[in-house]
Amino acid sequence: MLAIQLAITGLQTGALYALTAVGFSLIFGSTRIFHFAHGAAFVIAAYFFYAAFGAGWGVIPAIGVSAFGAVAFGLLLDRLVYVPIQRHEGSFFTVFVASFGVGIAVQNVIGMIFGRGYVTVNTTLSRSVEVIPEVYVSPLAWIAIACAAVFLGGLGFFLKRTHTGMALRALADNPELVRTFGLNPRAIQAAAFAIGSVIVVPAAIITSATTGLSPAIGHHVMLISLAATIVGGIGSIPGTMLAGVMLGLAESLALLVVDTQWTEAVTFAILFAFIIIRPSGLLGRATAH
Amino acid sequence: MLKSLKITTAVALTALTLPAWAEDHTIGALFPLSGPNAVYGDVFMAGSDLAVEHINADGMLSGTMSIAYEDSQGLPQPAVVGMTKLVNVTGVPYTLSAFTGVSKAISTIGQRSSVVAVNGGGVGPDLAALGEYFWNVIPLVNLEVRAVVPYLTGEMGLKKMVLVYIDDPFGQAIESELETAFEGSDAELAEVLSVPVTAQQFSGVAAKVRSAKPDVVYVASYGAQQIQIVKQLRDNGVDAQIVSYSGYITPDALALPESDGMIVTGQAVDYASEDPVTKRFVTDFKARFDKDPTAYNVNYYNATLLYGLLAAALEKDGTEVTGENLLAKRLEMKTFDLVGGTVSFQDNGTLLSPIEVKQIKGGATETLDTVEIGG
Repeated sequence: MLAIQLAITGLQTGALYALTAVGFSLIFGSTRIFHFAHGAAFVIAAYFFYAAFGAGWGVIPAIGVSAFGAVAFGLLLDRLVYVPIQRHEGSFFTVFVASFGVGIAVQNVIGMIFGRGYVTVNTTLSRSVEVIPEVYVSPLAWIAIACAAVFLGGLGFFLKRTHTGMALRALADNPELVRTFGLNPRAIQAAAFAIGSVIVVPAAIITSATTGLSPAIGHHVMLISLAATIVGGIGSIPGTMLAGVMLGLAESLALLVVDTQWTEAVTFAILFAFIIIRPSGLLGRATAH
Repeated sequence: MLKSLKITTAVALTALTLPAWAEDHTIGALFPLSGPNAVYGDVFMAGSDLAVEHINADGMLSGTMSIAYEDSQGLPQPAVVGMTKLVNVTGVPYTLSAFTGVSKAISTIGQRSSVVAVNGGGVGPDLAALGEYFWNVIPLVNLEVRAVVPYLTGEMGLKKMVLVYIDDPFGQAIESELETAFEGSDAELAEVLSVPVTAQQFSGVAAKVRSAKPDVVYVASYGAQQIQIVKQLRDNGVDAQIVSYSGYITPDALALPESDGMIVTGQAVDYASEDPVTKRFVTDFKARFDKDPTAYNVNYYNATLLYGLLAAALEKDGTEVTGENLLAKRLEMKTFDLVGGTVSFQDNGTLLSPIEVKQIKGGATETLDTVEIGG
């Protein structure tokens, strides 16, 4: 029964990891910007939901506020930080440092506004019920899995079947060619930030009710996003989704064989294994140098 | 003309000699001001800042006193950087410390540089053995464990415990204390689960706790993590009694609905005491923060006030305020009037205090029992 319990728990965690990581993977894969502040988008989405829900706005308006916060942050960061740096031919490292700095600034601003302590959204949906003897599942676990299926399926459809989606994939392959076809790479880049930021919203909201929040949570989000992106294959959205679920499952099922203190190490053991054995990741394309 | 010259000379001499008498006092503090443990920094500063305000208002020292805060993040590495700066650049003779790992890391610098470090927040038992320049104004967690285990197994009849602890020197110390406390009793420590310092997901841990079917779960962590553990244990179907130590008594943790019914331990402070130091502290704290003080507020108020008392005594003797002289003066004075009454240090530089066993109810704590601890 413990194995079934851990598998369900791992699936819930994996769904959240996938939702978190895919946004980062989409942005990094299509724009090549190391968007370290993706963790900050997560924090903003979570705290905006917490504030709006706590103010009695109801779930749907609070989700709207959360999505608005995340998308506005992504777009403003792109417009006010990344684009000017790229215009001056700033290096990959310059962009990374700027993004890192924004992440820290957001952490401190959130701390100033909401306090630096722990907060959580209180809901009965986070309370587990016994579905079969000795196996407990909370309604939020099903919601997390359903959200992952809907959002990630929707993203897949969007990237394959819409003009903007195809443009995003094209931008990842060859920005110059995108320009040749009369498309605006800056506008496509903005779309990548908007979509990548909004897709983090369900994970941020569910985390606010299950794990709880502190302004510093963004660093952990980034670690997981980075691990899933590399394990899945840089630039591969389906690979990142799969890697997110795989890491969540591995972290949870590892408890069957290792002590609890090693669960996080399992994630990074998998990451190192992929870097050494299969650097292109689960579904990434091998590149020749 | 001669009179003017005399006046000018007198003023000049006064101006030249004044700094020697009215020297400003700066002490250091290594508190977590950012990161997941930052909430403690706010709590600690509420106490230390109020003490500085009182010391300056009373004119206890010849100059103005202030605190140079450094952000330790609750981690040893940034704390060592901060302590090095405080000792070598700011040149403080006395510093406030918090957290077990931080205190252990900085204690060697304090010992080497003859700078006093006073801990009011870390509770690892090792903190009693960090040398003569390291003092504790908080009873350490071994005393809390010794107080709560008999209460749980005796008064409450809870015989099977699972421990969930953070994998660092503090958590390891709690594990060791609990194993010792259960030795030779009819109760058992059925399972011991350690979690990494950075972990945030505990639903898997909760599944393991549930499968062990304990009567009681002891949670030994700090900051946001300890609250996440309690919440996720409850959310994932763990209905056993949950117990923790004084570090759990923070505003965030008390406000969590899942904390209701938890047993916690902490030092006993008589806030209703009629002694002038306690009365002034309680009155001014409530007026300034609009809430009741906690033991952490008291500890850092006391740690800061202790500096004021020692430095004032040194100034009265005409002795320079250095770490070495502060230590010598503490050993000479022996007793101090601090919040909670007149206290004295043990030989290992740690204050003793009775331990209260409390229960969290409706966002506040209610005392169930007070245990006197022998030295």
